[in-house]
Amino acid sequence: MNSLKIENLTVEVEGKVILKDFNLEIKSGEIHAIMGPNGTGKSTLTKVIMGDANYKIIKGKIYYNGEVINKMKVDERARLGIFLGMQMPIAIEGVTNADFLRSAVRAKEGDNFKLLPFVKKIDELTNKLHMSSDMINRGVNDGFSGGERKKNEILQMYLLKPTIILLDEIDSGLDVDSLRIVGESVMDYYNEEKPAILLVTHYQRLLDYIKPDFIHIMSGGNIALSGDKSLALEIEKKGYDKVMEEDGHE
Amino acid sequence: MNRLKINNNGGYLEEADENLSLVVEDASKFLNVQTVKIKISGDTDLVIECEDIKDVKFDICINVLNGVHANIYEFKNKGKYKFQYKYYLESDSYLNIEKVINADRIHEMTIINLNGERAKIDYNLKSISKNKEKYNFLVYHNASKTVSNIINNGVNIFDGEMEFNVSSFVPNGIRKCDVNQSARIINMTDNTCTIKPNLFIDEEDVVANHSALIGTFSFDEIFYLESRGINKKEAESLLTKGFLTKGINYHKEAIKEIINQYWG
Repeated sequence: MNSLKIENLTVEVEGKVILKDFNLEIKSGEIHAIMGPNGTGKSTLTKVIMGDANYKIIKGKIYYNGEVINKMKVDERARLGIFLGMQMPIAIEGVTNADFLRSAVRAKEGDNFKLLPFVKKIDELTNKLHMSSDMINRGVNDGFSGGERKKNEILQMYLLKPTIILLDEIDSGLDVDSLRIVGESVMDYYNEEKPAILLVTHYQRLLDYIKPDFIHIMSGGNIALSGDKSLALEIEKKGYDKVMEEDGHE
Repeated sequence: MNRLKINNNGGYLEEADENLSLVVEDASKFLNVQTVKIKISGDTDLVIECEDIKDVKFDICINVLNGVHANIYEFKNKGKYKFQYKYYLESDSYLNIEKVINADRIHEMTIINLNGERAKIDYNLKSISKNKEKYNFLVYHNASKTVSNIINNGVNIFDGEMEFNVSSFVPNGIRKCDVNQSARIINMTDNTCTIKPNLFIDEEDVVANHSALIGTFSFDEIFYLESRGINKKEAESLLTKGFLTKGINYHKEAIKEIINQYWG
């Protein structure tokens, strides 16, 4: 059983407080969806958990399996089992996907890394995700469409076998077919490995594929409202303002 | 494939075809300058390998004749280099140069003369600088519809101080030229690096571009790689390899070996 616990976390960027006394705990086998209007700190949350140095922790703690990881480096967090699927994965010219993925898997597996199983796994995953087989020899996300970039994130997730998965608007820029492939692939991984998943989304449509146990609505840098999947449907129908108002928030 | 070896004793062709001729002579014994004259008369490839040169200066003149397409793949390893290059391109000729440098110190002057209409040069230089490295370029568009693409990329480490000075000239009346310069230095030291891009264009009917960038790898690139479990040193090694191998076809493996040498 793995867990990620966030306790009284206050975070600022360039002097502006984005997260304020934020609390959340997610455990293996749980899927949490974070929703909320723009600028409420959803993406900040995922980046802070991953260790992005642009975000300064003013107070509070992040625990992985009971151990405080506030001062842990980004790569150490990743090797621990935390994975961030990014909203807009960066393109890196010149660095091939093959080199990048091999380095990432080797960093995780160390001396246990074996090339042949790695190559077979890549073949299997590119088929599963309906990706072009030549993507492996192209630059990382270089010339990739929005959909291809998201699929590349999911491919990395499968290769790195994380226990805590953060998905930041993994549905943005996806057409209906790609959304289905990405959503179903995340669920397949969930069913195989039972990780803890924290996903940030604006739209209910992703939740048709990735079924959350908990929905949290963020407002003002904190969770203002939590519920089950019916909350997402209500938001889709009424909008954030109305739902929050009915719950007694200003 | 033609193969020219240059060392302290001069230059000699290890392999050669009928499309290339070579003359090596002492230009000045007093100044210790050697001249290498190469004439390319038919489509061909030339590999130039320079190894551990110390006290000899070289003048290299390369003539590409009418309509000829040629590739030159050059690799300089170790040594302290003082080289001057003069390229002369005749009408409808095309010269693609890939140059990989792993020198101890270097000072180069490159003069490119695009003498015939529609002559085109693609110049792609990659270097890992560990000491003083200075590259001066003079690119003369002496005929209409000529094209120059001068790309200089360097990674500056240890005691490196890298400098690229590129000046391109288009006189009045020389029309429809395409003049491009791009230089980027990844400076991984506190030392000073310099890029001076100059475009001296005296004609309106010309397309001219330049870009110059000195800095480190972007935070976002490093963060992305680290977020996949790759440590910072390995991330920098990957990015350096990507940066230096992009656009290079022939000496890719040599670049990878050099990177392994410095980044482990």
